[in-house]
Amino acid sequence: MSRIGVFICHCGENISRTVDVERVAQEVGRLPGVAFSTDYKYMCSDPGQTLVKKAIQEQKLSHVVVAACSPRMHEKTFRKAVEAAGLNPFLCEMANIREHCSWVHENREEATVKAIDIVGMMVERVKKNRILPTITVPVTKRALVIGGGIAGIQAALDIADCGHEVILVEREPSIGGHMAQLSETFPTLDCSQCIMTPKMVDVANHPKIKLYTYSEIELVEGYIGNFQVTIKKKARSVDEDKCTGCGVCMTKCPQKKIPNKFDQNIGMRTAIYVPFPQAVPNTPVIDRDNCTWFKTGKCGVCQKVCGPGAIDFEQQDTLIVEAVGAIVVSTGFDLYTIAEKPKGSPIKGYGEFGHGKIPDVIDGMTFERLASASGPTGGKILRPSDGKEPKQIVFIQCVGSRAREKGISYCSKVCCMYTAKHTMLYHHKVHDGQAYVFFMDARTPGKSYDEFWRRSIEEEEAVYIRGMVSRLYQKGDKIVVMGSDISVGVQVEIEADMVVLATAIQPQKGADALAQKLGISYDKYHFYSEAHAKLRPVECATAGIYLAGACQGPKDIPETVSQASAAAAKVMALFSRNQMEREPIVARVREAGCVGCFACKKVCAYGAVEEKEIRDRQGNLIKVVAYVNPGVCAGCGTCQATCPSKSVELDGYTDEQIIAMIEAL
Amino acid sequence: MPLTSQPIDTSIYTTITAAIRSEASRLFTAGEVVAIIGYAAARRVGSAQPIIITNAADAEKLIFTHACVNNLAVYLTKAKKEIPKTGKIGVVVKGCDLKALVGLMGESQLKREDLYLIGIPCNGVLGSTVQPATALTTESIASKCCDCNSHLPTGCDFVPNVALPPGLQMESRYSVEIARLEALTPAERWAYWKEQFAKCIKCYACRQVCPFCFCEQCLCDRNKPQMVDTTPRPAGNTAWHIVRAMHLAGRCAGCAECERVCPMDIPLNLLNRKMAKELKELYDYEAGFEVNDKGPLTMFTEKDDQSFIK
Repeated sequence: MSRIGVFICHCGENISRTVDVERVAQEVGRLPGVAFSTDYKYMCSDPGQTLVKKAIQEQKLSHVVVAACSPRMHEKTFRKAVEAAGLNPFLCEMANIREHCSWVHENREEATVKAIDIVGMMVERVKKNRILPTITVPVTKRALVIGGGIAGIQAALDIADCGHEVILVEREPSIGGHMAQLSETFPTLDCSQCIMTPKMVDVANHPKIKLYTYSEIELVEGYIGNFQVTIKKKARSVDEDKCTGCGVCMTKCPQKKIPNKFDQNIGMRTAIYVPFPQAVPNTPVIDRDNCTWFKTGKCGVCQKVCGPGAIDFEQQDTLIVEAVGAIVVSTGFDLYTIAEKPKGSPIKGYGEFGHGKIPDVIDGMTFERLASASGPTGGKILRPSDGKEPKQIVFIQCVGSRAREKGISYCSKVCCMYTAKHTMLYHHKVHDGQAYVFFMDARTPGKSYDEFWRRSIEEEEAVYIRGMVSRLYQKGDKIVVMGSDISVGVQVEIEADMVVLATAIQPQKGADALAQKLGISYDKYHFYSEAHAKLRPVECATAGIYLAGACQGPKDIPETVSQASAAAAKVMALFSRNQMEREPIVARVREAGCVGCFACKKVCAYGAVEEKEIRDRQGNLIKVVAYVNPGVCAGCGTCQATCPSKSVELDGYTDEQIIAMIEAL
Repeated sequence: MPLTSQPIDTSIYTTITAAIRSEASRLFTAGEVVAIIGYAAARRVGSAQPIIITNAADAEKLIFTHACVNNLAVYLTKAKKEIPKTGKIGVVVKGCDLKALVGLMGESQLKREDLYLIGIPCNGVLGSTVQPATALTTESIASKCCDCNSHLPTGCDFVPNVALPPGLQMESRYSVEIARLEALTPAERWAYWKEQFAKCIKCYACRQVCPFCFCEQCLCDRNKPQMVDTTPRPAGNTAWHIVRAMHLAGRCAGCAECERVCPMDIPLNLLNRKMAKELKELYDYEAGFEVNDKGPLTMFTEKDDQSFIK
């Protein structure tokens, strides 16, 4: 016979205000199997937990029901307390009489009756609970970092400095990401490359970091502590082991007029190229779409001039499988292109701003390249159309961001600050120029941020106009900017030489496809979702996968670096043990009933179902049944719902338990 | 029902019978199969019954007539007591029966390489309530044959070389009945099915004959916990038939054996046809034409209808 203890929590007044907790304790105490029932003001507090532990020992309780808040809130708390008192933690269940009862009802009498029913159901359920032993799985102490921008670099370095191996995968030919493209950084105006490139070199030289550039994630299998990741290393057409990075191939390549993506397509590169001189690794890539050899079968100049013979036109894409225990996703962002309306996206373009049609309407990243000492203009602010220095420049903020009617309602967070920085850089380089900024409001929370913004106005003479721009059009060699100044309520028209748009930050293209490979969730804009917005901001809901940087939402550099180090800390916590404990809420196959139709295997999103042969003593095959790997199973219960013969049970949520609850009603 | 009954040409069945016999004899002589599941003449005039033969001498027993109504797929899964455990099995299949085999292959119950399929070009078989000696007409024909889309089974190892006589255009009895029920109000429809299910005596003949009811332990027989009331009472009857209809959705290709064997004449296949119609409309899926790893209900694609998510 069960000796169940029921503990009713007042939750301060959250429950007791609407539910007569004493009556619940009395009535539930009369249920068959209940040996003890009581109520207390804060059951989750230290004295409350002590009450539960004492009762287990004194009353020799066999099962525990805690009637309080949602199990999402305190199930772990009470299971731990029960375990400390010597019971298996899975013999404790929570009855939710707060979210499911007191918070949603007003009538005290009815709410009390409902609370008694809810607790009664859990009493019947807990009688069917079994002792579940904790599952332990081994941990592979190697991490995968996807994306080699500042987030990925920081996370990789932190994990590797702790002594664990790191696999860093980058899609582009070089690591560095967007931060390598920036000229100076706010709020200190230190050179981005000067602080970035040493870190890139650290990655390249770190004995614990294995770097795969020009590579993509093909397939992710497995689970926390035990992932198998297939990486596609795209054909570089250059043997990385032989190449010395001398760069002769690039100087001799006859194809010299290919727009360089790193320079926002305003600078040119050759067909065999490194995206920028400080690239890591300093090994060129042949862009096969633009290479004469690959287009016509003739040329081969690079091959002829290469001393070490590193050019390999025959190179193929290769697949590499790596075993890792944790994954940090740091795939970063992309800028919203206002010229075109992205296909299948709810985002409506900004045709009225003429980006892509008027050559001197550029985005913020292009301005960064113009201002960068290593950029295509050598750091001079020159118009892309005619190379003249713009004397009047207009910056427009919130282009794409905070525009619900255009499809994006979020704030891109960094634009206010980088536009302030742009006005300063402009003022430093074009002394007789004037910068205007159209803004909705300036958002400058952050250490020394507001001071920086004020400086752009007060010392660097930027004119801020509160209002939005309705239209841009070319007039001669000027761009007419039509906007409004809402602080004085007048229409403004400025004849500008150049217009810079602070376009919205969006996740990388293909972010959704990668999320599907990883089995992590994302929001409607394809930013990756954290497990809890406040308390678990760097973890994914999928165990063993962590987030860093702008792939989770718009972020500036300090915030990205902090999050990357936080993700690294989470990975190191996981790697601090050889074995990892998992909740034993997993599916189990009743082999006698299983007919091997493998409907469960077809629906399992985690690849946890395997085929198992059942043989007699002579070794003859009797049948093939399903087997759930408890290390992989996430306990979602889809197999249980799918099995036609009900031969799969989810421990902790068996049909018997659920039906016992229904019958208690 | 057609207004006037027209005869259906079954003359090819004689040629087919001869072809099956010679192929069966050849298969045993060559040692290609260990047994053949087919049809043989039964006691009553014109009737036929399933037979399992294991030698060339018995090949002469095989026949094919318009009384060969059974779906023999069931002898390959749960009714395989008389089937040898090892070796290739020959099986005589009509187009409709083949769909069941295809489904069973997709559900890991059968392997194509274990079977030798003798396909039958079929012009129709008799309805379940008709005496076996009756000639095949547009009236005596089985309902499932009225809108048959697989007269000639494809992908078989052997198909007798006969030309199918041009088929007669027949109204689909199921479609008419489904349309009639769809036009009813939910209350009227519920009343109709309540009346039908009330007749059920829980003999489980439908389960016994269904090629897809291959579970060793049916969930409806379980008593700890009991999922479905086992006594023939209205609630349990309804639960049983709804569970079956749901379990067959996306799998049943409409061989209508359940309906044929039901002693209480419950129009069981109507439920399955309705489910098949829904799946065709929702996912453009039709069961039984190719061996699919995943059916529409065990698979999610972004094209799936999501209008039900509010």
